[in-house]
Amino acid sequence: MNCEVCQLKELEVEHFEIREVLRCILHTIIFHRALGLVRPKDIDSELFEITYVQCGDPELEKKIEEKIDQFIGWVEKHPNKKSQICLSFFEVKNKQASWFTNKTERLYWEQWYINLNVVHSKPHSSKSHHSKVVVDPGENVLEERSMHRAALEASLREVLFQIIKFVNEKKDHIPPVPNLEGVTFPYEITIPSSSDSSFGMDMFKRMLQTGHPTMLN
Amino acid sequence: MSSSRSHFLSEPPKIEQIITEFFAKSLQIILESRSSSVSSHNFSGEQTPSSQSSSSSSSSVRPRDKWFNLALRESPAALENLDIWRQSNLEPLIVDVILVERSSSSPLHPHSPAPRRNPFQNLSMRDNVHDHWSPGQDEFLSETKSENIIERWVLQYENRKGSANIRDTSYGSKKASGASCQSTEVLASYSKTYKKSIILLRSLYVTVRLLPAYNLFRDLRSSGQIHPFSLSYKVSSFVEPFNRREEAEMQQFNFVPVDTCCGRLCLSVAYRPTISDVKSEPSTPMSPRIISDYVGSPTTDRLRRFPSLSSAGLMSRSPGSSPSLPFARRHSWSNDLHSAAPSFSPSPSTYSDSQTLPSNLNSNNRPPHLLNVDVFPTVDSPHHPPETPSPSNVSLTHKKNTSFDEYWSSPPFSPSPSPSPPANISGNHLSNALLRSESAPVSIPLGRLGRGLPPYASPKGTKPRSSSQADNVSTQVSQAPLCRHSSAESKYGKRQDLMPPKEFQPGVIQKGKDEKTFGGGGISCSSSLQISCSRSSSRLPFEDEFDDSDFACPFAVYYDDDLMGLVNRTQSLDSKGRIGEGLGSGTMLRVRKSQDAAVGALVSMLKSAPPLRQDCSNSANLEEASKPESDQLHFTGASNGTGYGVTVSGLVMSKTTADALEELKGYREMKADLLKHGALKPCD
Repeated sequence: MNCEVCQLKELEVEHFEIREVLRCILHTIIFHRALGLVRPKDIDSELFEITYVQCGDPELEKKIEEKIDQFIGWVEKHPNKKSQICLSFFEVKNKQASWFTNKTERLYWEQWYINLNVVHSKPHSSKSHHSKVVVDPGENVLEERSMHRAALEASLREVLFQIIKFVNEKKDHIPPVPNLEGVTFPYEITIPSSSDSSFGMDMFKRMLQTGHPTMLN
Repeated sequence: MSSSRSHFLSEPPKIEQIITEFFAKSLQIILESRSSSVSSHNFSGEQTPSSQSSSSSSSSVRPRDKWFNLALRESPAALENLDIWRQSNLEPLIVDVILVERSSSSPLHPHSPAPRRNPFQNLSMRDNVHDHWSPGQDEFLSETKSENIIERWVLQYENRKGSANIRDTSYGSKKASGASCQSTEVLASYSKTYKKSIILLRSLYVTVRLLPAYNLFRDLRSSGQIHPFSLSYKVSSFVEPFNRREEAEMQQFNFVPVDTCCGRLCLSVAYRPTISDVKSEPSTPMSPRIISDYVGSPTTDRLRRFPSLSSAGLMSRSPGSSPSLPFARRHSWSNDLHSAAPSFSPSPSTYSDSQTLPSNLNSNNRPPHLLNVDVFPTVDSPHHPPETPSPSNVSLTHKKNTSFDEYWSSPPFSPSPSPSPPANISGNHLSNALLRSESAPVSIPLGRLGRGLPPYASPKGTKPRSSSQADNVSTQVSQAPLCRHSSAESKYGKRQDLMPPKEFQPGVIQKGKDEKTFGGGGISCSSSLQISCSRSSSRLPFEDEFDDSDFACPFAVYYDDDLMGLVNRTQSLDSKGRIGEGLGSGTMLRVRKSQDAAVGALVSMLKSAPPLRQDCSNSANLEEASKPESDQLHFTGASNGTGYGVTVSGLVMSKTTADALEELKGYREMKADLLKHGALKPCD
């Protein structure tokens, strides 16, 4: 089966922005893949002038929040790193008898890579202002912040449109809808997680399965 | 229908059903997040959507929700439109989302001059095409609005093969393949099509919320604030092409079509990527904080009544003009005083003069700027070149009108260069709007204003104007460089705002004065429309809110200085206007009288505030009448106000030249009375 991969544009976020950014993106993607009956829920982002859509599935929300928490935890341990979150959709197929105990196998048919560059919020005395003679650093910081925020919002909007476009263009690889309940397809959210190595392994496995080496950055 | 339907019947009914439901769902998704009717605001979309709000709550899974597995709120508006569309049988569905900016908040209440909000103005840039001006309704409907399409959704089903082909296929090739095969194929294609359309609708749902228009919608829906704009929509089955400007501004997003067995479902949207012009300004104004301050003080009712004020507040927000808000009210008051004069102009062209006229009247004591030079040496100020807001004028006003200065002193509205919105009846509103708009960074496009306005009204030069308009007096004073237009406009605006109390109904007298002024006034800028607006607005709105009697009396009582100040202001305004025309000077001279006379004129104007529609001829009469001052004695008693008003009103009813003359006499008497009073009372 075809596995479509979408690399989303990298976003430069500050630590405290991670959660909102990920919510926007993950929910938007999943909403597009929730082909069962959905009662959409509009969510006005807390940080951005962006309204995204949730499926109205509490379990899903919970799962996403958990994953975001994990990711944030990981980011805290690995500061200043570019990081990637992968949202994958797969089909579960029964494997014919195999020498593995595992009787099922995941067939990934779509993967979304969310690329974040987590930067540290600049302290009040940022480099850019060194030249200035202590001109109320607070103000400058505020300005920078608002500029950064605006830039991030624009980029985030771009990413959301990227999702929409991708979803529109790639429709043929979607497997038959297994059920009619909300979020129809099995999915998983992979974060660098506990050990980088495992993440790497994960990716490696997936590569083998899907045969898309390009997934790795 | 029948024909198209029949033709569709040739397609698999399921597909046809999908198509139909797809249209319905799409329409619902779009309207659900665009129709402002749902919002609690007074500004309801003009169209059918108004009905929407009521029935949205019914929930639970309705059959319609199951379609595409997307449960939405019931949208009556969408359903209505859909029913209409259904009859058209799969014709394209075009949904235009329209941003409506209102110059006046309450259409029915002329008194409330709806200032054109900056945002509108911005929009208005485009509006040329879409603006709906209703000059005819001026008097009663002060509201002016500009409508701009900010989004166009095009939903259509493209038949791969012409209808004929479809039939061919149905009867021909497919037939050959065999019914059974066909059915399976159809089923497969059906489910495929359905799944894709589900996804398409999901992205539509998300997209609708990502486009800039959604933020407008959200603002409208969320806050209880009064917004200068609203969203409306139009559903049609044919595309009204954009003009070039619009086309250049629009960005296109095409969803990938969903293939069906016989054609494809196409969905696209053209949207304005930056409603920022509109939105940026409005957004600022919309910010609750600013508004709250401004609005908060006055009762909501008042706000409604004085949409202008509210709008002004908004306007002020925009750039640096924030301070203007408080002033706006003052201005409004000041306007009231002046307002009497402005109201009458019946004819559009002449009206502009009307503004000047009142000023002239006022100016009696103090000649209009133009006149000032000749007539009123006392003023010190040299000629006030009409065009350039003469600093001298300002200075004069300050000197004499110190009392006024309070009003004037209020920071001059930063005149944004909006040209005076001349033509509209709403002129008053416009003026207000202008004032506000002035503050707004955006320059109002001349074109819009221009309809009514004389060509020369300078667009940006208007800064002065705008300021002047807003604060007629104050601005003028503060800002030397008022433009004629602005002055004229400002006058109107003020007048409107200030609309005379009921007492003023007698307006006749005032009218006469006004007319005179008009004759003299060269304010070309102000258009008849404005006048009309002033009338309506003046009478109704102010009466309600203000206690007329109080005002009228106070004016009478006013110190000469104050009156003078007013006069000066008006004069300055007038002078500006006059300057443009040039005719005014002669009248001005005539007008010149003692300051007392000016005061009287002012009083009368205030009282008479109701617009003088009467023709210019009246003005001529007035002029003549004005000469004889003997009448004044009679009126002295009346000068206090109410008495005049009554008599005057009667006169007004039938406005003939004779009436006008009488009115003039009455005014003169009033003046005399006032003068007497003034003499008795200490000046400021």
